[in-house]
Amino acid sequence: MTTGGHAAAPNGGGGKGGHGRAARWVRAGSVAAVAALLAALPWAAHGRLPDRLATHWSGGDTPDGSMPLWAAALFPAGFWLLIAVAVSVRWRCSWPAVRPWRALALAPTATVLVGAQASVVRANLDRTDWHAAREPALDIVLILASAAVAGVVAWLSSTRSTPTPATPAPELRLPEGQRLVWFSRTANPWLQLVATLTGLIAAGALVALAVGLARPSGLWPVCAVCAVASLAGAAFSSVQAKVSEAGLEVSFGPLGWPTRRWSPAAIESARAEHRLPSQVGGWGYRLSGLGTTVMLRAGDCLVIRPRGRHADFAVSVDDAERGAALLNALRRQG
Amino acid sequence: MLLRLDKTDTRPLHEQVAAAIRRAVAEGECRPGDRLPSARDLSATLDINVNTVLRGLRELRDEGLLEFRRGRGISVAEGAPARSGLQIKVRELIAEASRLGYSRTDLIDMIRGTTT
Repeated sequence: MTTGGHAAAPNGGGGKGGHGRAARWVRAGSVAAVAALLAALPWAAHGRLPDRLATHWSGGDTPDGSMPLWAAALFPAGFWLLIAVAVSVRWRCSWPAVRPWRALALAPTATVLVGAQASVVRANLDRTDWHAAREPALDIVLILASAAVAGVVAWLSSTRSTPTPATPAPELRLPEGQRLVWFSRTANPWLQLVATLTGLIAAGALVALAVGLARPSGLWPVCAVCAVASLAGAAFSSVQAKVSEAGLEVSFGPLGWPTRRWSPAAIESARAEHRLPSQVGGWGYRLSGLGTTVMLRAGDCLVIRPRGRHADFAVSVDDAERGAALLNALRRQG
Repeated sequence: MLLRLDKTDTRPLHEQVAAAIRRAVAEGECRPGDRLPSARDLSATLDINVNTVLRGLRELRDEGLLEFRRGRGISVAEGAPARSGLQIKVRELIAEASRLGYSRTDLIDMIRGTTT
């Protein structure tokens, strides 16, 4: 089980961009190492294992699935390589910003596979027949726990590496005795359309349910899914940003709710950046390697780095440069 | 849109709000058709009572700079940038005239009497 943590570390640390080739070799090496470990575990103990290994339990104490030794060694390794290759292909055509997801996907997967393999070997150890192997109940808990730890480690190590651009932060001159406030808003008509359409479908389904036109079992999920999609779409179809002496306030949707606020003291720096939906993984409220992005359209984004955080918060609004400049000036003024 | 308010200004607050938005429109901070932040938002951000803000906004509507539309909020009217520039100049003229001791009627007479 302890091998799981070991397998996660190189994957998690491999997400740092910039060292292109070396990082790629480290990643390939750690993928190969995990595959080798998966294949080697049963082989290393093959003297003390039965001919066929018990590999599957369906809740009961006795196993209900088995594999010959070679298959038990190669199947998890092959499965792992398949996943690693599938994720790698996605990296190739995606932007660097999406990268942390692969560490986040691979580290827990490696932990689960290595942990499961170790637990299968342990359950079969010194048994003469695979039917005699017992389900390692406690192992499952341990595997899941270490997978969660591996995921957290991968998340922390990949988000820590978000670089802060070297360009100087813009700053506005605050004239003595003047109060400056900045407003900006963006709306995405497509998201508004989607919210309206799903809202209409949800309402239609509700009416059909009320008058008993259709079977409730089939219609309830449609109604619920469309209602949730409509509310989420409406909330994130428009966004307003305000900068005043109270700091930055970003509010969503036509009702201005929910709202996120940062006081000038809670902001480390502010800047404007050009971002694309493909960089942050799509439209809406997005979590990616660039931190949190409220992406309603491609282009200018106001980006802040909250104090004491490793990741940025960005919102796609017009005239972001001056918003950032005012925020920096207010921050300096204290 | 960037709004500037002078902390040392002694004019009534609704006039200050109107002046800040008039200037923003004249300087191209917001273009015709752009939506203005809601009166509630302006009130919260500027720390000015919402009725005072609304009074300032209504003044600007009466000057033809803003349009109030039911359900669509407040937006900048067509031709507002040029008009707001002129409005600012007129105000400056009135202020200068009163400093020199001329009343508004004197000013109107002067404008009427100007042949070019």
